[in-house]
Amino acid sequence: MNEEIRSVQAEMERCGYIAEPAIATAVFLAREMRRPLLVEGAAGVGKTEIAKVLARMLGTELVRLQCYEGLDTHTALYEWNYQRQLLRLKIAEREGHDPGRLEELIFGREYLLERPLLRAITRREGPAVLLIDEVDRADEGFEAFLLEVLSDFQITIPELGTIRAEHVPFVLLTSNRSREISDALRRRCLYLFVEHPTLEKEIRILESKVPGVNGQLARAVARFVQRLRARELRKLPGVAETIDWTQALLRLHRNALDAETVFATLGCLLKDEHDLKATGQEAVAELLAYAAAGD
Amino acid sequence: MKDGAHGLIAQLARFAGALRARDVRVGLGDEIDAATALTLVDLLDRDEVHRALRIAFKVPREAWDLFDRLFEEYWDGTTAPRGNSPRQALPRDHRGPMQWQWDGERVRLVAPDSGEDPAGDTPGYSPDPVLRRKSFERCTADEIAALERLLARLEARLAARRTRRLVPTRARGMVDLRRSFRHALGSEGDFLKLARRARAIDEPSLVVLYDTSGSMDAYTRMLVAFAFALRRTIRRVEIFAFNTSLVRVTRMVSPAQVARSLERLSAGVRDWSGGTRIGGCLEEFNAQYLGALVHRHTTVLVFSDGLDHGDARVLARAMRALRERAGRILWLNPLLGDPRYKPEAEGMRVALQFVDHFGPAHNLESLERLLRVVA
Repeated sequence: MNEEIRSVQAEMERCGYIAEPAIATAVFLAREMRRPLLVEGAAGVGKTEIAKVLARMLGTELVRLQCYEGLDTHTALYEWNYQRQLLRLKIAEREGHDPGRLEELIFGREYLLERPLLRAITRREGPAVLLIDEVDRADEGFEAFLLEVLSDFQITIPELGTIRAEHVPFVLLTSNRSREISDALRRRCLYLFVEHPTLEKEIRILESKVPGVNGQLARAVARFVQRLRARELRKLPGVAETIDWTQALLRLHRNALDAETVFATLGCLLKDEHDLKATGQEAVAELLAYAAAGD
Repeated sequence: MKDGAHGLIAQLARFAGALRARDVRVGLGDEIDAATALTLVDLLDRDEVHRALRIAFKVPREAWDLFDRLFEEYWDGTTAPRGNSPRQALPRDHRGPMQWQWDGERVRLVAPDSGEDPAGDTPGYSPDPVLRRKSFERCTADEIAALERLLARLEARLAARRTRRLVPTRARGMVDLRRSFRHALGSEGDFLKLARRARAIDEPSLVVLYDTSGSMDAYTRMLVAFAFALRRTIRRVEIFAFNTSLVRVTRMVSPAQVARSLERLSAGVRDWSGGTRIGGCLEEFNAQYLGALVHRHTTVLVFSDGLDHGDARVLARAMRALRERAGRILWLNPLLGDPRYKPEAEGMRVALQFVDHFGPAHNLESLERLLRVVA
């Protein structure tokens, strides 16, 4: 393996993210090639976490844009501070300003509210990490707009002119695949698909994320969840759920799994009524047997 | 990458060509990315090259198996069997190819050796109540018109949703400060008129999956009429026919060219009246179209009797994937029109747990009931 990729992997692990080679390679390539990284995968596999760890690694600011339906430039890019503008207009009126100069007066940088995208490219101290989270939730039209920002890293504000990036940020986009990302945007990025972790990786994640868990419980929990994922469920539990569950078990002072505890805490893992119903006595007994067999 | 660089680039181009030939969308830009990536990684580490190429070529998860196979073939020097084996077909019903024909008044499915019309009645004018209760087995031009009116109403129901996106409007809505300010500048800073924005109306999107197997024979006659009506009334609609394989018929049907459309349908959909493999076909649909055509506001309409010759677990898996993505799944089963029918076929029972609405679809009246559910 390339030394630099290995060091990225070690660095990520130091910051609390157990990265398999594929993730480290993607992060390394995105950094070297200065391309945004599109991360896809099921919910709860740790997509967003990559960006957080990256910001920690690079010792920089994490600028996060959470996407949602109806997200528009006003919330993503910039907005004029209308209240201040109005006040300024009132004052100008009282002072008897030249009406021709009004425009100049109220469309200055100090009346501009920076939203995440603008913030990410105007950061002076160095490149930021820009996380565009759940981009699949935004409307398709918004993607086209993103494309423009991500290719030139400049933003044109009609009243002000073009603002260029001081430093090109490290961009990470995540998607839960609730809809397909347009080809154009995909092509602009490098692409990483994160899968549910392997057993060994999940155990290591638990040991690093849940202080105080003993190796035996971590192994049993990981085996239980891995087996659970093989079942026919509507929503498979992610690593985030495994961590929650382990924490819940520790709070209940359980050092081993038993049917009663599992039933009481199954809500940490399964968040769908249908899935909960489908995982009855028999299923849990089978899962427990499998989890215990690992010892 | 000094001496071998040229050979490596050529190899990369061949590899990209092979991916393209198997429908993985790989552009020139991706090849350049891949080449750049290769300069950054350890070329002697097979796994690393594999990972880097997968990242740089932006290979979606569905295509990973294919990618792995081709990677083996092109980069490991082993010669895997070339080309994919043709998709395994199930034993089919050999009654000869069926043909759709338009007799001026209705479309019908004709087997080449038996020229006679199995329905055997002469369609004429039907007063509305009768028409609405009449089975789709016999579909006339009037009925198609009625069907279209019904679908137009269905679309209106489906379009009731407003997106959260705000668009400029002249009617009531939130004040659009930004545009108001621009206007105000023209009148020396006075707000003579406030600009407004309101939530846009979402265009409904509909995916129709139609079972054309033998057990649905009586109702496949309706498919053609239904497909025409859908294409005429709903803009964002995709129509698929399935039996032992899945065919996208949306583009085959154009309301302006009835004869051409029928020709294309006859030629395009294999196995009219053959067996069914619902699970397999749904899985095929998921693999090829789910991402592009179905999102959380999509209504998926399945017309099928649920008599599946395939594995019920495959069906369950496919339905779950569909369930996760689609806004709503409506399953219409023409057999439900028969009061004696109970959904006991295994395929139907499995599918039911993933379905939002399960209803009959043997005549217009039952489709009208669907309208009420949708609203």
